[in-house]
Amino acid sequence: MSSLTGLAGLVPVVVFLAAALGIAVYSRSRAAKAAGGGFVGEYFLGNRSLGAFVLAMTTIATYGSVSSFVGGPGQAWQTGFGWVYMAAVQVTTLFLLYGLMGKKMALVSRKLGAVTVIDVIRARYKSNVLANAAAIIIVVFFATTMIAQFVGGAKLFAAVTGYSYVTGLVIFAVAVVAFTTLGGFRGVAITDALCGIAMLVGIVVLAGGIFTAGGGYEQVMDTIAANHPEMLEPLDAGGMPVGLYFTQWLLVGVFTFCLPQSVVRTMGFKDMKAMRNAMVLGTVIIGFMMIGVTALGTFSAGVLTDDLAAYGGSVDNIIPQVIVATLPPWLAGIAIVGPIAASISTVSSLLIAASSAIVKDVWLNYRHPRAHVQESVPVGGASGKPDAVRDDRVVRIVSHAMTLFIGIAVFVLSITPPDLIWKINMFAFGGLETAFCWVLVCGLFWKRATKEGAILSMVGGTAAYCIAMALGFKLFGLHQIVIGIPVALVLMVAGSLATKQPDDETRAVFFPAD
Amino acid sequence: MKNRASYADKMRQANREAKATLVGLAVVVIAWVALGFGVASTGIEVFHTPLWVITGTVGTWIVAIIVAVVMSRRVITDVDLDDVEEGGAHE
Repeated sequence: MSSLTGLAGLVPVVVFLAAALGIAVYSRSRAAKAAGGGFVGEYFLGNRSLGAFVLAMTTIATYGSVSSFVGGPGQAWQTGFGWVYMAAVQVTTLFLLYGLMGKKMALVSRKLGAVTVIDVIRARYKSNVLANAAAIIIVVFFATTMIAQFVGGAKLFAAVTGYSYVTGLVIFAVAVVAFTTLGGFRGVAITDALCGIAMLVGIVVLAGGIFTAGGGYEQVMDTIAANHPEMLEPLDAGGMPVGLYFTQWLLVGVFTFCLPQSVVRTMGFKDMKAMRNAMVLGTVIIGFMMIGVTALGTFSAGVLTDDLAAYGGSVDNIIPQVIVATLPPWLAGIAIVGPIAASISTVSSLLIAASSAIVKDVWLNYRHPRAHVQESVPVGGASGKPDAVRDDRVVRIVSHAMTLFIGIAVFVLSITPPDLIWKINMFAFGGLETAFCWVLVCGLFWKRATKEGAILSMVGGTAAYCIAMALGFKLFGLHQIVIGIPVALVLMVAGSLATKQPDDETRAVFFPAD
Repeated sequence: MKNRASYADKMRQANREAKATLVGLAVVVIAWVALGFGVASTGIEVFHTPLWVITGTVGTWIVAIIVAVVMSRRVITDVDLDDVEEGGAHE
């Protein structure tokens, strides 16, 4: 490694994290004073107050993770522009999420007083088994993703600054767990906006470094063409097969709209105007971000021209290497804030969603087993009775404690880092998509879908996906998402048609028009 | 402009918008294939860069932005999300 940045690299990161913490705490305390609504609706959903900019940014920052900033571009350094072409499929994610789920989730969740995605699933299918299965799946896959984020962020920090991996881990973990616990969903959404901006700044700074070091754009392109002409072909002379394009379309394009951490955002926006504007703004920003950062990976091949072995044998090292090789220490410190922001913004969103799954969807539900969502915790409206006030205080303490507990657990699990961050992330994406896709889509759009079909789909589909993963079994050499999604669909359809139709009460909320 | 549609009307409209979104997805997929693999087969190069690299990535992005603009301006309607048809009086 040419030069480590040391303190100069540490300062921007610490300043950024401190700013995030301050903003999260401030926004939450201001909202708490102004609204005075129910704690659960505020802590887990920010009282449905997101405007267009924050909505777009929080959706993108939740979704854009450290693998978009380190693993993906590293792979693009090796594969070439095919990988960038593949990353471009992510431009569909925002309009798919808002266009398919946005209005319906907004209407249904308000009608039900639902705060979490699982609230909606429970109300649609009237099944505690399904809701508990969903909570378990969310916690397990979210924890997996969070570990991948912590590890990716801390490794990058260590590689660029020269401080130890554990130092990096402690700094992020303390910051992210603190601002999530204190800030709640609202704090997370607003820090996500800050993180999104940091990600964009990081891309621009690094682009400047790469093109300066590489002798300008045309020189960089000529170097790539001279060393690796195959990197200028979409199929990379076989390194980038059509099957991979296909499965990535499914994993990071088409099916991202059913990721629960994304769907919960469609329950949090203020009004339709906010959602419509976020759709355009978000598509502009996510395209710039995903295409931009992945292209930087390929452009790095105009600067880092040795074999992979010279860079530690892992493509995950490419971005840290190119940062230290092309930027002066203080700019390198600013550039690494981008990927670190990507990492913590994903962690914070998953952390708040994972604690909502345990506190709201499992614990509160057992405490008030007979209450439907609309009776137990109306968004923005705890009643003034003494019981309700005492309840609210207990829920408040438990919610904060659970967020803190999950954060600490993930931190401990990250101390010994697993390998293959990029694949861990894709594993979790595929698992969540398999579990939730048909349960959500059929829940909202197919009135015949039943509890039994949904349980079969979620549990059976996820099991099929995980077993195929564990055995390394693939169809036509394709990622196991092509097993999980069809299995989950068949189980949903067969299970639903074999059982009794949903009752009138469910239909009145979900299918009033039919 | 908020309309006073019933809950059932709003849900029906949401179904139409979901279908339109799938059409939008199809448009982007077709554009992605044509602007990437399609243009790559021509072998054209500009600014030391194969043309497909630009059209397949930035071109696809622009198509997606156009889809998003059309969806948000022409397809998706503003409705009052807080349903007031039954309970009445909270504005």
